[in-house]
Amino acid sequence: MNALVSATVPGVTYGCEFGLMAVGLVLTYRATGVFNLAFGAQAFASAFVFDLLSRYEQVPEWAAFVVAVVLLAPAVGLALDRFLYRHVPARAAMARTVIAIAVLLAIPELIPLLFGTATRSRIGSLGLPANQVYFHLAGTPVTGSEITTVGVTVLAAVLLTGLLRGTRFGLRMRAVVESRRLAELEGVDAAAVSAAAWGLSSFLAGLAGVLLLPQMGSLDPTDPLAFTALLVAGLTAAAVASLRSVPWALGAGVLLGVLETVLQTELPANSVWSQGLLEALPFVLLVGVLLVNPRLRTLERSQDPLAGVDPPPPPPSVSVRDARLAGPMRWGFRLLLVAFVVSSLTWVPGNWVFSLGQGLVLSVIFLSVVVVTGMGGQLSLCQATFAGIGAFAAGQLASHLGLSVLLGALVGAAIAAAVGTVVALVAARASGLLLTLVTLAFALFADSVLFQFSWSGGGYSGVTVPRPVLGPVSFVSDRAFLLLALVVLVVVMGLVVLVQRGTTGRVLAALRGSPVGAASVGVWEARAKVTVFALSAAVAGLGGALFGSIQGPISSSDFQYTVSLAFVVVVLTTGVQTVEGAVQAGMAYAVIGQALTYLPSRFSGVEFLLFAAGALTYAAHPEGIVEYQRTRWLQRANAVLAAWDTWRAGRGPGGEQGTDRARALPSAIGGEAG
Amino acid sequence: MSEGAALLEVAGVHVAFGGVQALDGVSFQVGPGEAVGLVGPNGAGKTTLFNVVTGQLRPDAGTVRFEGRPLGGVPSHRRARLGIARTFQRVEVFPELSPLEHVVVARRASRGEGSLWADLLGRGRLSPEEHRSALDLLRAVGLSSLAEVPVAALTLGQQRLVELARALALEPRLLLADEPSSGLDAAERASVARLLRRLVEARGTALLLVEHDLALVRQVVDRVLVLDSGALVAEGPFDQVVTDPRVRQAYLGRAAS
Ligand SMILES: Nc1ncnc2c1ncn2[C@@H]1O[C@H](COP(=O)(O)OP(=O)(O)OP(=O)(O)O)[C@@H](O)[C@H]1O
Ligand SMILES: [Mg+2]
Repeated sequence: MNALVSATVPGVTYGCEFGLMAVGLVLTYRATGVFNLAFGAQAFASAFVFDLLSRYEQVPEWAAFVVAVVLLAPAVGLALDRFLYRHVPARAAMARTVIAIAVLLAIPELIPLLFGTATRSRIGSLGLPANQVYFHLAGTPVTGSEITTVGVTVLAAVLLTGLLRGTRFGLRMRAVVESRRLAELEGVDAAAVSAAAWGLSSFLAGLAGVLLLPQMGSLDPTDPLAFTALLVAGLTAAAVASLRSVPWALGAGVLLGVLETVLQTELPANSVWSQGLLEALPFVLLVGVLLVNPRLRTLERSQDPLAGVDPPPPPPSVSVRDARLAGPMRWGFRLLLVAFVVSSLTWVPGNWVFSLGQGLVLSVIFLSVVVVTGMGGQLSLCQATFAGIGAFAAGQLASHLGLSVLLGALVGAAIAAAVGTVVALVAARASGLLLTLVTLAFALFADSVLFQFSWSGGGYSGVTVPRPVLGPVSFVSDRAFLLLALVVLVVVMGLVVLVQRGTTGRVLAALRGSPVGAASVGVWEARAKVTVFALSAAVAGLGGALFGSIQGPISSSDFQYTVSLAFVVVVLTTGVQTVEGAVQAGMAYAVIGQALTYLPSRFSGVEFLLFAAGALTYAAHPEGIVEYQRTRWLQRANAVLAAWDTWRAGRGPGGEQGTDRARALPSAIGGEAG
Repeated sequence: MSEGAALLEVAGVHVAFGGVQALDGVSFQVGPGEAVGLVGPNGAGKTTLFNVVTGQLRPDAGTVRFEGRPLGGVPSHRRARLGIARTFQRVEVFPELSPLEHVVVARRASRGEGSLWADLLGRGRLSPEEHRSALDLLRAVGLSSLAEVPVAALTLGQQRLVELARALALEPRLLLADEPSSGLDAAERASVARLLRRLVEARGTALLLVEHDLALVRQVVDRVLVLDSGALVAEGPFDQVVTDPRVRQAYLGRAAS
């Protein structure tokens, strides 16, 4: 009994932190319609600044608290609203999730840029002295930090519930999320309400961060896994609360904290099985709650009755293109390809050849995002995990069975496809945000469990995927490998285009447009979803094997969930609808990465900041930056062509005037339609 | 079962949304090749009934049989493949696809055609004859000139015609049409009426037609069912039913159009 109590006291404290995270997720989702995956990162930023001020700059604790939590945290929220979320068109629900991910990735990069990379080991805390014991509960000491955490959490939850349930502000907030336009018609200033909601939820993030400080051994701003346990438990608690109820979120969080510490102390520590179970349990629990809670399935179903008022998404750039531009563009592309091959075989310096090869390999992986998101319409956050499966399979098969790498890559792709199928089957009834969270849970599970075995991720020393040798042809040198990667990329691109233009692609387009309409003509949605996940996982697995081969030794950290998040941000902001988008994203990623090596190391994080800056454009144009720019460019080209037609029609001999006008007209209309 | 010949048999269907009894013990039959009108005031439960027949909604009680086979637990897409097609009151088109592609997707999906492997081998493209037959169908609904335009760019009326073409592409045994003429102009209405009538007479397709335009209903159907507050209140030939006092009661306050 005493053992149980002594586990429960720290459990409740942990649980309060899980609960705060969950409450933050629920609050932002309810108030702004954004599933704010960056909540933890925002918490981290405030914690870091609080610590910096109170310990290193000798600022009094209360002043540090005011700066870090009362001022900085809401300011961050207001800035996010003002510069990003406010510009996202109402129809683009996925874009909001992607922007939150971009923020999640950008904040840990921003902090070392501002404050340097040194890890902090002495850690400050808020409120009562952290380690002083105040009283005993059934023999278990209760410390100051525990009292502070529990007290502040309960206070925050009570105030929030009151605010949401009992005030006009809470009512307005819910109205704005339900239907922004309808709320505006009722005279609610929707923009102000959203801003206030962002300020409030970000304040909560700051509070959570500062409360968490005593629990963190050290503050390493670049360690993305520091928050994994918190993220998983927070997600689970938020899912238990159906992303709707603040008290439920808090309660579930506390319960999870207690459960975790009790299991930790009760299960035999020396048994491999119980340790494995303990590692996997949070993820199993998360997926279980996501799939079992029926209220989560109706999460995104509440439809804005005024949705029809929103402007429709812009047409894809190809549909804007004047037919006369098709030929020159095709030839331009071929010329570019030849120039690329010739250059990389001749004058391009070695380090750049390596980077370009990396870019091609990344492009293959990015094609998997085009398949699952661009075609399948689902946001998957485990594409790097699929890539990892392909890479580890190819490496392990090569080292244990001596299997040729190219064959191993295909086997790896097949294994990844099988795993992708399982993920899709498990999540068969989920879609949208729910499916995204299931894929995130799988990625986190792979990080913590699946890739930690010696037979998978190769443990501490990792896995080496050799460069392929095909009979007399060796792809060991960077230049030869680049050619191989190019061939694979072109083949995979061709296959993806075939699928896009085939039955599968059209069926998926139908499902993106109207699942109900698709079912009414016999489309089996579940099967289409499994197909698209399997194909996407196969492409990612193949790309992953190539990635391992170009990289040398790889380990589980190369395929962490944050890598998946980065992939998603890069590809979606660039353009996910076309295969070209994937290639542009892959090449940009590699080229910018290589270019940045010329800058001092302190600036290595600028890469992510660049993409975060890209997010600014993306917010207003969820079709992707490249797609947006191309449409604009094509429209201008069309206008020039139309002007040319008019000019010629005016000057030409009378007899031909009529036919020329007839030709000019459709292109002029095409130009305006965009 | 004396009426073993019924194509669609709905028996004792109940659906409640919270406190609203949307369908309250509805039973009726539609024979093969029969055209039946389903009329009733707004909120009578007509669309709900369609959703039950197509499997989008599970009834709280009651059964639906198609060709004698109970459909309980059969998912929507399977029912489509069995030969039940529908159009929607609030259009459910695929904005990125052209009318032609709507027809092609419907054809292939309803036959369960088109695996990933076929696509990867390049067999997913449109064959010339597929193209031709899809165009024929679009010509029949009057959309052949817009066959290749993304549907997002069409008017609401044209989108309704796309839905009709898509439904006909299944070569259904039973077509459920939910207000196919709303949003259309007079000429388009007349052509939809002709099209539906021809479908029933030439193809032998059974039709269940929900429509507020009673003139159109009269032109197309053999028989009318009147639904009010979730219950069938009258049934019979059009001219007989419209004079029924219970029907007048149901429509009270509404100008019969
Ligand atoms: N998803 C739903 N949730 C709650 N109530 C619903 C839902 N769908 C329909 N209802 C209610 O059920 C009743 C029947 O609706 P239904 O759409 O079937 O009517 P209808 O006869 O098609 O009307 P209309 O002529 O306006 O299309 C209405 O009272 C409606 O408000
Ligand atoms: Mg209706």
